[in-house]
Amino acid sequence: MTFTPTELEAEGAAGGEATGDPASSSPPASGRRLARAFMRDRAAVACAAYILVVILMALTAPLLVKLSGYGPLEFDQAAVDPNLGGLPLGWGGGIGTDHWFGVEPGNGRDIFARIVYGARVSMTIALLATALTSTLGVVFGLIAGYFGGRTDMVISRIMEFLMAFPALIFMIAVLSALPAENRQALLVVVISFFGWPYLARIVRGQTMSLKQREFVESAKASGASSAQIIFKEILPNLSSTIIVMTTLAVPGYVGTEAGLSFLGVGVVPPTPSWGQMIASSVSWYAVDPAYFLFPGAFLFLLVLSFTVLGDRIKKIAESGEGRA
Amino acid sequence: MIRFLANRLLGMAVVLFLVCLFTYVIFFLLSPDPAVQICGKNCTPEAIDQIRANLGLDEPFLAQFWTFLSGLFVGRTYGTGANAIDCVAPCLGYSFQSSQPVTDMILQRLPVSATVAVGAAVLWLLAGVSAGLVSAVREGKFTDRFITGLTLTGMSVPNYVLALSLQFLLVVTLGWLPFPQAVPFSEDPLQWFMNFLMPWIVLSIGAAAVYTRLTRANVIETLQENYVRTARAKGLSPGLVWRRHALRPALTPIVTIFGMDFAGLLGGALITETVFGLNGVGKLAADSITKNDQPVIMGVTLLAAFLVVVGNMVVDLLYTAIDPRVRVGSAA
Amino acid sequence: MLKKLTRAPAALLAAALLLTGCSGGQTDSAGTAGDDPVSGGTIHMLQNADFSYLDPARGWDGGVNAFYRLIYRGLTMQAAGDSDDPNAIVPDMAESLGTASEDGLTWTYTLKDGLKFDNGDPITSTELAFGISRAWDPEIGIGSPWLKNTIAAPDDYLGPYQSGEHPGIETPDEKTIVFHLIAPFPEFDSVLAQPNAVPFPVGTGAGDEFINDVIASGPYTVDTYTPGSLIKLVRNENWDAGTDDVRKAYPDAWEFEIGLDGATIDERLIAGQGADQSAIAGKVQPATLARLQSPDLAERAETAEAYCVTYMGMDTTEAPFDQLEVRQAMNYAIDRTSLQTASGGNQLALPATTIIPDAVNGHKDFDLYPSEGNNGDPDKALELLAAAGLEDGFSFTLDIRSQPIMQAQAESIQQSLAKINVDVQLNVIDTSTYYETIGTPSQMSDAAITGWCPDWASSSSTMVPPLVDGRVITDKGNTNIGLFDDPAINARIDEIRAMTDLDAANVAWGDFDEQVMGLAPMVPLLQEPSVFLPGENIANYIPNTSMTDLTIIGLKDPSAG
Repeated sequence: MTFTPTELEAEGAAGGEATGDPASSSPPASGRRLARAFMRDRAAVACAAYILVVILMALTAPLLVKLSGYGPLEFDQAAVDPNLGGLPLGWGGGIGTDHWFGVEPGNGRDIFARIVYGARVSMTIALLATALTSTLGVVFGLIAGYFGGRTDMVISRIMEFLMAFPALIFMIAVLSALPAENRQALLVVVISFFGWPYLARIVRGQTMSLKQREFVESAKASGASSAQIIFKEILPNLSSTIIVMTTLAVPGYVGTEAGLSFLGVGVVPPTPSWGQMIASSVSWYAVDPAYFLFPGAFLFLLVLSFTVLGDRIKKIAESGEGRA
Repeated sequence: MIRFLANRLLGMAVVLFLVCLFTYVIFFLLSPDPAVQICGKNCTPEAIDQIRANLGLDEPFLAQFWTFLSGLFVGRTYGTGANAIDCVAPCLGYSFQSSQPVTDMILQRLPVSATVAVGAAVLWLLAGVSAGLVSAVREGKFTDRFITGLTLTGMSVPNYVLALSLQFLLVVTLGWLPFPQAVPFSEDPLQWFMNFLMPWIVLSIGAAAVYTRLTRANVIETLQENYVRTARAKGLSPGLVWRRHALRPALTPIVTIFGMDFAGLLGGALITETVFGLNGVGKLAADSITKNDQPVIMGVTLLAAFLVVVGNMVVDLLYTAIDPRVRVGSAA
Repeated sequence: MLKKLTRAPAALLAAALLLTGCSGGQTDSAGTAGDDPVSGGTIHMLQNADFSYLDPARGWDGGVNAFYRLIYRGLTMQAAGDSDDPNAIVPDMAESLGTASEDGLTWTYTLKDGLKFDNGDPITSTELAFGISRAWDPEIGIGSPWLKNTIAAPDDYLGPYQSGEHPGIETPDEKTIVFHLIAPFPEFDSVLAQPNAVPFPVGTGAGDEFINDVIASGPYTVDTYTPGSLIKLVRNENWDAGTDDVRKAYPDAWEFEIGLDGATIDERLIAGQGADQSAIAGKVQPATLARLQSPDLAERAETAEAYCVTYMGMDTTEAPFDQLEVRQAMNYAIDRTSLQTASGGNQLALPATTIIPDAVNGHKDFDLYPSEGNNGDPDKALELLAAAGLEDGFSFTLDIRSQPIMQAQAESIQQSLAKINVDVQLNVIDTSTYYETIGTPSQMSDAAITGWCPDWASSSSTMVPPLVDGRVITDKGNTNIGLFDDPAINARIDEIRAMTDLDAANVAWGDFDEQVMGLAPMVPLLQEPSVFLPGENIANYIPNTSMTDLTIIGLKDPSAG
């Protein structure tokens, strides 16, 4: 499975090492200039717009479903053909005014409603996992980088250990063995548990080089505590790195959640999830391609949007730094 | 150098030991009672106790972990008497559901996994590096932007979505390729290639995209280095400048990251093998997870971790050989 | 048994009622000369899951039982799939069915001449007694329990490896074998047709010896076995067709390709490229049904009747299901047509009103709780609830398995019962622990959806009693999930079981089914038939949801593919 965040982060890390870190340790681009550069980038804006649409969809799911007329769990036996194993009646998997995206074969559940509610699951898990991963990554990275020595050694070993783990296999194994309650929270925890070292490694490296800089030295000389230095002096200087890294991580988590649900260890049915919809569409794609296309396209576009967005933000941040 | 090597080996052993311990603890806690699985449908509590005693499942955790660890090196025997089962070293455990030593199960599946992994690696190296070079040469031009767009797409498409789309398009609709089956190379090289082509593409696409970007970034950066400019100024032919000064340093990081990625493929092939129904190690893991066959899941997890750790180690050593400066700093 | 896939549901229903007397060869009467099976070639079987065990003392399920028939022989066996009554029990290695003593406690069989293992060693009564005694080994004998349930053995007998020869089986000479039973069992011939009643050379098969290779007595033997991927069978040169009245063994080899996704299997069978022309597989996915409409595929597809009943069991010991009227109201209220649609439509599900499925011998057609078009009769149900003092309805919890079709069925029941003010709460349980949970009375909720199939289809003695006999209720592994215990019912079970005229017994089982349903301890929901799609080159394939007879299948043209 492609672990997009890992690979992107590996790329980020490798790129950073190759340049010997001179750029990243200089003060970052200001948020406002970042935003201005961003607005000029059409691809980035389009991606951001799509992400916004998905977020809106997730937030207003109950409302949208009221508009469309069918809930995500509601059966519509009239929309499928009992003589053909439950194939949706009508064109494109039952697309029409009644069911905007058609229905699921067999039980006639409304695909639009399931997509909309699936967006909730995808976004919640991906965003929560990103938040937790970033927090862990930043905190441990800062601690390891700033204190160095034994602390650094212990944290680095733990990171090495976690990165050596075949995360996907392990996630599946653990999730399949654990009870089904609170599956969404569990997904967030498991994904973050294996995800944080990738960010921490980079934060650690940058902290190590920032630590040597004059402004940190002078803060130290003026008697600031370690906590003050870490959070007041070093952390603000890492903000662009963190923004870039977290944006780059989100698509990976969207993909991971969908992948785990695809393999049947993610969100528990009947809660809708895009990965799960794709999994159950496998046997139907030859006769009802729409059933596969809708969740497949929504998922692909979401991951793509986050990836492009992350890529653009990274470029803008880098060029901004270059100019500064 | 020897001290460095010894240090690395020791570190590797520690990480592997921790992986073993961690995995064992988790599975020890989560795993269903193998005695119940062996006992079958018509079981009595006495029979379960009997089996537990036979297999040493009534022993304390540490004793069981020790038996497991020593099984890795010297093998072990499950049960006693006429029904005893030998598990020779390296014994990764015994699957009571399929009544097979885990090591054998993995070894039987390894050829398929290796074929999928090596093919995919070759494909992504070739595709990634060449696309990256082209992109770098044409920096800023349409080709470059096109390739960059492709790489973003390649990185974003979930591989099961790609797998299903390709299968629908190339197999079901167009009939150009067969449904992948593990045809041995020795039996029919052409069929072998045709059958494995889709899995290779699916498994390599994400990595190919990343390698394209890496190659492009590295080459562009190197071309801006002073010594390349100097070489150009000296009037060396562009081809020579490329080969001697730009390519080699640009590709070094690729080689190092490749080692790690390749080692990680065993775990990564899980979805690809599952979607295409190829009986490799990844599929074995997926099947065992559905069947709740914990010894097998644990065995595959350990093997995958072992490969990643060894892969990292090899990369470190290679890197040291290429760039002696690393030895001093020894970055984590 | 064999019916061509028909488009019109009415025709399908009608065909389902034509139980017997339809043999495989006749259906393709208009076909060309090459439609009959010919000796030679390799048949491929595409399947998702591996067989449970090669060792017949361990494995016991429909799929593996069919496989065992290719490599093992017993004293008796289920009749050929194309015979008039494929559920019947016929002699295999025995000259004839067994002869019971006056008291029904001693059964004697005589072996045929010329029986051999795949290694050339002769099969005598000693090898048979040894093979059968393996069922008592606590670690190996985890398959069919019927030998242990019927043949007398001391409590401390633990199989041949630990306790030596079986004291309840006598071998007076090489050709004769005598069984001593715990209690009279008129259907003992069916017990010996169970897969674990087969011979093995004395002393073999301890521990994991038969895990990867076996000693065959049937027409084929294991050539290669890669667990989870491939099983290859080749001819057992020592099998003598002259001693075998049932197995035809047309192909020279069998290849079982394992680990394929269900959708992929269907795609391969539809495409039928190369060796897939000579392939068979389990039932097709619901999604595939829509594609079987093209004439050539419809021609190939075969339907097979259900041998199992899907039902809703209700805890009859607690309110409200302790009241007969409430249970009867459930039988009236549930819309079986909606259930049918939820389960994949009319090719994959038929409404069930009896416990015994149509295909099982002993089935009697009746419907004690009829409704128009099987759509349920809420009015009648409301009347009954009112009689029970529950006119305002009630609420109960239904256990279901976390599997899409089952959830769809449960939600359909939810909707039916909402019409009579009964609120159904669903309790979704993971598949791996489902049967354990509902088989533990203390853990089961008010009701559960599950299924039941007979251990042998030649009679209904293993179809109804395990579900309603009050004396089989146990704390764990309970089959009578309704905890139904009625002295009259229990007594009737014993009476019918004691009948030595098995045909009369089957008539009695049918009446018994009706008697039981009068007390409504459960709601029969569906019989779930299946559709199969053999490759174009496959002949004499008669799929069966209980056990497809692989030994009579052959290729039309062994050189193809």
